[in-house]
Amino acid sequence: MMVLRALLARPWIWSFIGALLVWLAAISFTGGYGAGGMITAALSLAVFMVIVGIGQMFVITLGPGNVDLSLPANIGLASAVAMKVMGGSDAMILVGLVAALTSGMAVGMANYLLIRALRIPPIIATLSSSFIVHSIDIAYGRGLQIKPPPAFADFTNIQFLGIPILAICGVVFAFLAGIALQRMIYGRSVLAIGQNMRAAWLAGIPVERIRFLTYTLSGALGGINGALLAGYFRGASVDIGNEYLLSSIAVVVIGGTSVAGGKANVPGIWGAALFLVLLLTMLNTFGVSAGIRLLLTGLIIVGVITAAGGQKALR
Amino acid sequence: MRTTAVLGSLAVLLLAGTAHADTSAKKIAFSNNYAGNSWRQAMLKSYEIVTKKAVADGIVGASDIFTTADQEVPTQAAQIQNLILQGYDAIVINAASPDALNGAVKQACDAGIVVVSFDGIVTEPCAYRVVVDFKAMGREEVEQMAKFHPEGGNLLEIRGLAGTSIDDEIHAGIAEGVAKHSQFKIVNSVTGNWDQTTAQKAVATVLPSLPEIVGVVTQGGDGYGTAQAFAAAGKPRPTIIMGNRQDELAWWKEQKAKDGYKTWSASIAPGVSSLAFWVAQQVLDGRTDVPHDLLVPYLAFTQEDFEAALPNIPEGSVATTEYTQADAIETIKANIK
Repeated sequence: MMVLRALLARPWIWSFIGALLVWLAAISFTGGYGAGGMITAALSLAVFMVIVGIGQMFVITLGPGNVDLSLPANIGLASAVAMKVMGGSDAMILVGLVAALTSGMAVGMANYLLIRALRIPPIIATLSSSFIVHSIDIAYGRGLQIKPPPAFADFTNIQFLGIPILAICGVVFAFLAGIALQRMIYGRSVLAIGQNMRAAWLAGIPVERIRFLTYTLSGALGGINGALLAGYFRGASVDIGNEYLLSSIAVVVIGGTSVAGGKANVPGIWGAALFLVLLLTMLNTFGVSAGIRLLLTGLIIVGVITAAGGQKALR
Repeated sequence: MRTTAVLGSLAVLLLAGTAHADTSAKKIAFSNNYAGNSWRQAMLKSYEIVTKKAVADGIVGASDIFTTADQEVPTQAAQIQNLILQGYDAIVINAASPDALNGAVKQACDAGIVVVSFDGIVTEPCAYRVVVDFKAMGREEVEQMAKFHPEGGNLLEIRGLAGTSIDDEIHAGIAEGVAKHSQFKIVNSVTGNWDQTTAQKAVATVLPSLPEIVGVVTQGGDGYGTAQAFAAAGKPRPTIIMGNRQDELAWWKEQKAKDGYKTWSASIAPGVSSLAFWVAQQVLDGRTDVPHDLLVPYLAFTQEDFEAALPNIPEGSVATTEYTQADAIETIKANIK
């Protein structure tokens, strides 16, 4: 009982409960058929949300108004950069990954410069930089689908007992991010800034350096995600990251991170990402039409956030 | 003798003159609302090739392309109003919305401008619409499927962008085909938005719950992603209808070389932009008998001819064909009933 209560007190548990419920709903519809396949598919797709979600989480935790809206454009550009640099050759995979990382970091740094040097609110700065990045991508990639090298494409699809290797890497990465957040000076500084920027500054935290690092980190994760997506989906494209504008923010919020900043939660991001993918799986399995599916997705997300938030108010 | 020669050459000159004198000073603008995918890039390229030549040949005075980067209606509406002010004689348009631009299009018509829409069409009656026969394409997909699998079986349907006329038409065609060939059953349909990534994601989520699938009916731009989703889930590869994309045809070729894989491919040719241009030119030329709704055939490839077409498609792009003035005259003739 104590264990159960302690578990329920954790804000991240709700997203996992939600994921479990939609999964059960989906397999009860099929009579248990395809239960394992659904988990495998959910893990392979959720990992991409987790990677950008963690970047977005650090940014949002910086406090009110901080958000990275340039992720979709950033992911699109990085996917094109990675595939062009790799040029279909296995020998160039590492170089391509570094190029994607660099491209993502450059976008993150540019975001911070707009916010800091021109004093533009982050929401406007990252949105306008996303238009610029998007245009660069269209000019650079010419809207073509560029294919990944075979070894890289295979890597993104390796499974071990039905668990994608990429998902295992994602769990390890989330674990490290959790340590960085709770146990390292960087993470504690992000939390402190999110709680009160002025107090953090007075306490001697290098506020601007931490903000710079955070936006760069979010950009870098977007870049890596772009390269991995291009590998998994067998090709870069301008629109490859479109989904991650809403979903990167949704996984952070559903996962129990405070939108007001100063309070973050890493495990919840995994739960929320699984929840979102399994929700799509469930609705696709039911075979509902596109309009109904979007409507239900919206309603269920609102419901889950309300439920998770309501629990907090009770305490 | 000499007079006949002079008269003869005069007659030739006159004849040549009547063929394109009327539009040689006309200016045609192209209003496009998106350039971010391979189909749109091919569309712009085809348009540029054809219109550059038309300007060089003196058939029209000027032809300019205007693209707005986003898919927003207000931006394109403002753009059309600018084009009216700039004094173009005709506007070829790939519209962001079938009805939200009708106001701006009406203004253009009232200013005496010829408006020809294609792909993303506008419903305003004064405009012309160049439409691919998507319903026939959907029907033919099931016809082809019946050839590959006469015994029938379960089909998965990939839908396009919800709410567009294209998605509705192809879907209606497929439904008609399945009604005719009752040995087929559509067990589920997912939304692929004509995009490999979206299609792969959607199919990956639905595959675990599906029974054995013999075929996938698609809308173009979603076939390769579908194939990848089947491969990733370790499910047997069904007959997937392709949509003329280079990666789709390359995959088909690879599978054909491996075990003689058979399928069929069809889509709207991006070069239909050039057909819309010629229709505008014909209307400017003074033709009054051009129907406002022009149905054009889709572009299809079969097991026999797709490999010959593959080398001509740039990597990552889509198969296209550039239309000529003669094609436009032919299309108009075919549509006059």
